[in-house]
Amino acid sequence: MSSRILLVEDDERIRASTRLALEDEGYEVEEAGSGEVALNRFSEQAADVVLLDLMLPGIDGFECCRLLRRTSAVPVIMVTARTDTHDVIAGLEAGADDYVTKPFVAKELTARIKALLRRARSTGGPSALSFGDIEVRPDEGTVLRKGNEVHCTRTEFRLLCELAANAGKVLSREQLLDRVWGYDYFGDGRLVDVHVRRLRTKIEADPGNPRHVMTVRGMGYKLAI
Amino acid sequence: MLQHGWRPWRRLGLRSRVTVAFALGALALSATMATLTYFTARQFILHERETAILRQAYVNASLARSSLLRSHSPDITQLFSSLDTVPGSMSVLERHGTWYATSFSVGENSIPASLRRLVLHGTPATQHFALDGSAQMVVGVPLPAADAAYFEVFSLAELARTLQILALALTGAALVTTAAGAVTGRWASSRALRPLGEVSKAAETIAGGKLETRLLTADDPDLSALAASFNRMSDALLERISREVRFTSDVSHELRSPLTTLATSLGVLEAHHDELPPRSRRALDLLTAEIRKFQRTLDDLLEISRMDTGSAELLLDDVDVGELARHAADAAGATRIPVDVDPAVAGLRLSLDKRRIERVVANLVTNAAQYAGGVTRFAVEPAPGAVRLVVADCGPGVPVAERERIFERFYRGQAAGDRGATDGSGLGLSLVAEHVRLHGGRVWVEDGHGGENRFVVELPYETRETHETHETPSPARTNGSRDRPFTATDVSFETETPQGAG
Repeated sequence: MSSRILLVEDDERIRASTRLALEDEGYEVEEAGSGEVALNRFSEQAADVVLLDLMLPGIDGFECCRLLRRTSAVPVIMVTARTDTHDVIAGLEAGADDYVTKPFVAKELTARIKALLRRARSTGGPSALSFGDIEVRPDEGTVLRKGNEVHCTRTEFRLLCELAANAGKVLSREQLLDRVWGYDYFGDGRLVDVHVRRLRTKIEADPGNPRHVMTVRGMGYKLAI
Repeated sequence: MLQHGWRPWRRLGLRSRVTVAFALGALALSATMATLTYFTARQFILHERETAILRQAYVNASLARSSLLRSHSPDITQLFSSLDTVPGSMSVLERHGTWYATSFSVGENSIPASLRRLVLHGTPATQHFALDGSAQMVVGVPLPAADAAYFEVFSLAELARTLQILALALTGAALVTTAAGAVTGRWASSRALRPLGEVSKAAETIAGGKLETRLLTADDPDLSALAASFNRMSDALLERISREVRFTSDVSHELRSPLTTLATSLGVLEAHHDELPPRSRRALDLLTAEIRKFQRTLDDLLEISRMDTGSAELLLDDVDVGELARHAADAAGATRIPVDVDPAVAGLRLSLDKRRIERVVANLVTNAAQYAGGVTRFAVEPAPGAVRLVVADCGPGVPVAERERIFERFYRGQAAGDRGATDGSGLGLSLVAEHVRLHGGRVWVEDGHGGENRFVVELPYETRETHETHETPSPARTNGSRDRPFTATDVSFETETPQGAG
């Protein structure tokens, strides 16, 4: 079965050409010209990946992403105008898993989609693992905190698993980018930073004063058990 | 300043000119005053003295006359001693053709002949004359009743000395006044020019890139007008520049959507490359090459406009410089050239923006490939307090005159003209310079061995713009959209000083 991609983009031509490119790669593409339409389509039929332009008429990409996140852990790739604006961080904060920059190259885009889908499917790693009041169940793809399920996105989950599998060891941002996002050397370290922040808000009692996901200054992150 | 003809004195600074003008003015004024004073005083003193001399001479003449008339053969010596004389005055008496004098130094011949003649013929007279080089005045009074003539010679040496001292004093005063005029002129011009100094300092600062620099509007109405017009000019300039920058940015952004469609559609076509007939395939290849170039140029333009609007930020990461250089060279397609990392900087970790350094390397490699037969050597070398990335090529060497200009936007050197289809945007090297500048580093080109070029990028250990992005809380686009405030632990990475170079 081919993966379904929800393509949210207000520019009709970009939408049409992106659709062609994605269909060539064997994806099934659902189009939406606005955030509202996208949310409706998604509630009718969930997609495997959402490709979300940040500049949309009506509710913008950020808000759209947040609304999606209320109900779903679906991988979201946002399409931003620029790499070094606060848009990237704001988009990631809103719950996106990854981003591409316009004008993007179709190959780059499909590579990101493939990496996300791979991540979504494979949940290998250690079997159940627990620390503090957190319990990670990689085979089920769930995280429990004090026995209650914590809603993590797939990327957050992967990140937690990766840190947990190397508990006590420091993982550099490059290593995390490579292992969680499948990025090569030039990946954007902000992806890691923002996802760590998001993860903390979910599993830490006091996200401002983390006990589990620790920052090792100048080196990276580690999971303290 | 308005243009003037060639006037040598304009070569002097305004301050010197004002000083000279003040000095000359003071000199003219004081010289006139001194001259007037001198002549007025001289006339007055001379007049006083002459009056006194005449009075004394007539008194003595009448004393002499009454003495002569009193006795038939008077004692001339006694007569002389009875006269009322002042120091420096000498009496001479002629009686019946015989001359008598109070001093041996005077006599008949001491008295000018013309005056002598006049008096002996019965006309009283006075005359100024010089005797032994000193000024004298002689008064001659005929005494017809006694058949005699009385002469009195007065020395005017004292008067001359007085006038000399006066002249000296006045000259001195004039000189002092002139000097004071010069000092005043210097002071006044310095004071008047001080605001100009501030204006020039502000202009310097603006030229240095701080376009927001403004002058304080002073209380002085004259100066506040200057400050206000200067500030208006700066505002207008800033507005103009930002309008241009905005224009570039807007155009680039507007181009991005169609370019995305173009690039994506092209990707689709390329996927079906082999299914196309040969001619279409060739056309597609051309299209691909041009759109790639278009895309690169647009990327570069956007990058430049971000630099211009000051919104360019460094995304600093703690990276191994040698490793970054290797990755960047690979990514830039310079895989044949091994990256030569000096042992002194092997394993050196610096806080750098990986993407920007990668672009720097890629642009240098592209530049070498297009204009100088490709990269021949790529090295990472130590430098004092910094590390250098050196990209050498086969030449031809960049002419000395172009060595700075090649880092300007859209500058194409002579070498560029020789190539047919270039893939460069014309912005490559200028972006290299901008990226390096953002890191607080420098880039230049120098001669290598045998006509090759050595492009040297020097990155300081301490990147100036630290504490960016990773620590900056992101202002979300919509208010109140963030779930929680950022906290101190969100700060994940901080730049650290590398522990030495070896």
